[in-house]
Amino acid sequence: MSVAIEVVGLWKAFNVYHQGIGSLKGALVGLLMRGRRTQERVWGLQDINLSVNSGESVAIIGRNGSGKSTLLGILSRVYRPTLGQVRVCGRVSSLLELGAGFHPDLTGLENIYLNGSILGLSRKEITARLGEIIEFSELGTYIDAPLKTYSSGMQMRLGFSVAVQTNPDVLLVDEVLAVGDEAFQHKCYRTIERFQRDGKTILFVSHDLESVRRVANRTVWLDAGRLVMDGYTPEVVAAYLERMRAVEGEGPCGSPS
Amino acid sequence: MLAELRELYRYRELLLNLVIRDLKVRYKNSALGFFWSLLNPLLQVLVITVVFHYVLRPRASVANYPAYRVRDFSASVITGLIPWTFFQMSLLDASQSVLLHFAILKKVYFPREVLPMATVLANFVHFLLSIGLLFAYALVRGIHLKAMILLLPVVMLLHLSLSMGLAFFISALNVYYEDVKYVVSVLTNVLFYTTPVLYPSTFIGDPSVSHGDLLYNLYRLNPIAHLIIAYQKCFLAAAQPHDPRPLDPLFMLVTAAICLLMLVAGYAFYNSRKWEFAERL
Repeated sequence: MSVAIEVVGLWKAFNVYHQGIGSLKGALVGLLMRGRRTQERVWGLQDINLSVNSGESVAIIGRNGSGKSTLLGILSRVYRPTLGQVRVCGRVSSLLELGAGFHPDLTGLENIYLNGSILGLSRKEITARLGEIIEFSELGTYIDAPLKTYSSGMQMRLGFSVAVQTNPDVLLVDEVLAVGDEAFQHKCYRTIERFQRDGKTILFVSHDLESVRRVANRTVWLDAGRLVMDGYTPEVVAAYLERMRAVEGEGPCGSPS
Repeated sequence: MLAELRELYRYRELLLNLVIRDLKVRYKNSALGFFWSLLNPLLQVLVITVVFHYVLRPRASVANYPAYRVRDFSASVITGLIPWTFFQMSLLDASQSVLLHFAILKKVYFPREVLPMATVLANFVHFLLSIGLLFAYALVRGIHLKAMILLLPVVMLLHLSLSMGLAFFISALNVYYEDVKYVVSVLTNVLFYTTPVLYPSTFIGDPSVSHGDLLYNLYRLNPIAHLIIAYQKCFLAAAQPHDPRPLDPLFMLVTAAICLLMLVAGYAFYNSRKWEFAERL
């Protein structure tokens, strides 16, 4: 079986600026105190090794700030690794952000083209799949109305419809499924199952252990940027729950070893 | 850099779609759409002409050039103001171009350089349409276009290179220091007065020295000032009897070199930083 995702000795550092950037004051202070700007290096991921075969579905679990999203960010090439190698075979699509680049003043149709090209689809590919996208979004004639007239559910459905049409070999999913209503979630799961049947590789981040059990056979548990456990989903989830209970017992300061 | 360019070429449709989005959004919510953006420079030219020609009165030295009339003044204002507006708007819009997209920068991979490029190109398309206004103006005024007009595409491409190069620097730096957008706004306002828009280039140096004296040569070393002189020479070769100095090929080459260098340097600088943006925002 071929390897779809290969991560070897991956480390990722972030620079944290305590002054805070983005504000005029912060920037001025930064300019004035250039020499002694308080800056700290934080390791978001430490020595991650992971190999995923093509066709496999793997869930990533862990507490907030454990590095799940950072890992997906690196796999989707939004972040560059500080150290180590990452190799992803085939077309990667990430359901990290639905409706990237959507503009409220443009119509649904115009936004399909805009969003599709951000996700790396060509105009031709979008036109070829337009019927499918519109049908999947269930928007009907609303597709010609400006996006600002849509409900948030409609916007989400439209974003999701475009994203699944990217026909990826590797699909990265981050929490997006948690936000929709019952019908939308149902639709998402059906799509994920279809991807699984088609032999796509899926990497799935979630806090919802129920959906983790449902989607993935294999689960990777991250904590404080380190890989704690990698194995059969029921075992990893059980170990994770046990640790969480133990941590709760210790109080908020309990630090994992 | 070659690999970066190849990747950019692969995403050319994204660039195109972002340009289309900018233009659509700009004109969508107004009934008269593009018309407004033509009205604006015309109105400005009218005001500038009235204020500078009638209220403030030109300097006495102009009296030495009897050929200099109000119509020549307004002609040089409009041929200078339209290119200047493209330059200034590009840089101001570019300063926000990366910041405005931080949500997708953090989530989706695409060549980051499309953001400032789309902003500048959308402004350039707008500028192309306004250039139509200059031709209409020349037609109405009965200005005969000379062979110099053939140089116009070259001048415009150099102008685009300069704006794009600066936009790369500005948009990248604005991620680190949001002061950059204020600095740009102040600097472009100052820079405006170093270009011959509000005053004819005749006022700089001695126009009777046909190769230019020291002051004029220093003045036209400034690429944006020289580009605007070039626009004026392109359109008004026949209508600037008060300024007989021809467009100097040597200075045109210097300007071209600065513009292209700025483009390459800006692109290289932007690329050296672009993968940090998602981490900084």
